Amino acid sequence: MDMGNDAQKQVGVHINDSSCSRCFICSSLCPFDAIRKDPETDKMVLEIEKCQTCGLCYSSCPAQAVDIIYYDMDSLTRYLEKAKHKYASDTLVIMCKGCAPETEVVEKMFGISEFVPLSVPCVGRVPENIFLKAISSLGMKRIYVLACEEDYCRFDRGSSVATRKILALNLLLDQLGYGRPITLKQNSLKVTVNKDKCIACGNCAYHCPYGAATLVSGTADIDEASCYGCGLCVSLCPAFALELDYWEGDRISAQVSSLMSGKTKPEVLVFRCQWAVFPSLNGTTDPDVGIIELPCAGRVDALHVLEAFDKGAEGVMIAACPEEDCKSETGSKEAQKSITALKKTLTQIGMDEKLHFCSVSPRYPGAFDDALREIKENLANPSKETAE
Amino acid sequence: MIITTQKPLDEILDFLSPYTNILIAGCDGCTQPPRGLREAQTLAQLIELAGKLRGKNFNIKTTTVPKQCDSYITLTTLEPQVKDVEAILSLACGLGPQTITQVLPDLPAFPAQNTVFMGTETREEDVIEERCAACGDCILALTGGICPISRCAKSLLNGPCGGTRADGKCEVDPEKDCAWYLIIKRLEKMGTLSALEEIQPPKNYGQLVTGRVSKY
Repeated sequence: MDMGNDAQKQVGVHINDSSCSRCFICSSLCPFDAIRKDPETDKMVLEIEKCQTCGLCYSSCPAQAVDIIYYDMDSLTRYLEKAKHKYASDTLVIMCKGCAPETEVVEKMFGISEFVPLSVPCVGRVPENIFLKAISSLGMKRIYVLACEEDYCRFDRGSSVATRKILALNLLLDQLGYGRPITLKQNSLKVTVNKDKCIACGNCAYHCPYGAATLVSGTADIDEASCYGCGLCVSLCPAFALELDYWEGDRISAQVSSLMSGKTKPEVLVFRCQWAVFPSLNGTTDPDVGIIELPCAGRVDALHVLEAFDKGAEGVMIAACPEEDCKSETGSKEAQKSITALKKTLTQIGMDEKLHFCSVSPRYPGAFDDALREIKENLANPSKETAE
Repeated sequence: MIITTQKPLDEILDFLSPYTNILIAGCDGCTQPPRGLREAQTLAQLIELAGKLRGKNFNIKTTTVPKQCDSYITLTTLEPQVKDVEAILSLACGLGPQTITQVLPDLPAFPAQNTVFMGTETREEDVIEERCAACGDCILALTGGICPISRCAKSLLNGPCGGTRADGKCEVDPEKDCAWYLIIKRLEKMGTLSALEEIQPPKNYGQLVTGRVSKY
């Protein structure tokens, strides 16, 4: 990320009072009650500790009074201008990370293989202007939007806000003579059971934060409607009987291998929750760092961590959301538990200092880079870190 | 379930040191958490990492057995997989390495676990507590389904002792419930407290001699 700057506690979202017209749209839309009017000063106040950086306020503010670090108009525009040439297509696909971790989801859902991809954490955060700009000045003919099903939106209202926005945009564009170029589909990812592998230990039923996993007639059963797709049960299953679509164990193993066998072998491999850090759109990455995104820190798997060490990683870092921000109830907490246990085992072979767990939130954009700097310093100078 | 804890890696490496081709056999049976295929693969990775640090390259395969306390199941699961294997490391309780030794007598079998007790998990506190001492003469019918042999620090038959704390905890360990406090509360609730008026004679611990045999 390139937005670290020198500001000590730079925040991800900020309300610019001089442009604010006190219309209250942001306050009424915020799923986390983070924005309210201060009765004394009459100003709209954002409580950053409550903010989950979903960006609904930003995309909905009619006065453009909300400043946001991630995916603002300028960076979205710049990205689209570049991407249009790179992908040489006049079809834009805007997809939520929550339901479309890989572009192959798009092929499956829309049956298209050539498109300009734009992956965002919640499609509800994309302002209307970007859709209009894409159609009018960037020459996009069609826009496909892939959002999470509303009941599974990590930001509660993101998907429903996107649905309404797209309905209105299509009507507007139709009146302007562009037809209805935006197609919206919803998706959500689920855990599946391989009943042949299940040993009926009940671990999944014991740990599922949503009560989706049960033991029925001697095997695990996942209730699709209750499953939130966090993947915690997958990491905890002792028999590899559970898989979460697009986050399969083998797929993550392959990612570890491919990152660790690249030309510039990264020094540190990071397994990070996709909600803990919102990556920059400009795609610049530190060659010393390999990043594997997870649906939730709860999907972190001791096996993948050990694989990374085996393939030569000097350090492994797990980046999770703070417990109270966890988008899947107990994911961060369980991740911390399992990494603490693994660290304890690694103490026996003197490798514990190579494994780090950190809690970061996109509300403080510099937090992830700070954590990375810390682990790199510790690796360069191991004696500095004293036993906890 | 039978509760086990993993042995220190150093100890495991020490007894594996004469061998290179190892088969780690998980057990899907009653150990908790189940030490199945995932645990076997995790341990394999750890041993390989630890081995490299000692300058030794192991060649480790992994498998799992539905239950290693069953000799037929253990034999039929492991036998097809032991070609070229020099030693088997068992993730089961103490029964595992012994069953393997019995059914595959030509191979050395080692324990990766220390077997500690029989217990049940308490979900709220995320702990597993000992609940049965295999004393051979079950008195749960008299004590409201709460075992004083495994849960009372003194294994009293006619409790409580004078050491129950005001909050119902044990004098030996303030974190632990006094088993007899629990028993009395329970019998009170069931309306059968008077059953305790009958003094229990000393228990026949002769049942507890080792080398017990049960015919089926």
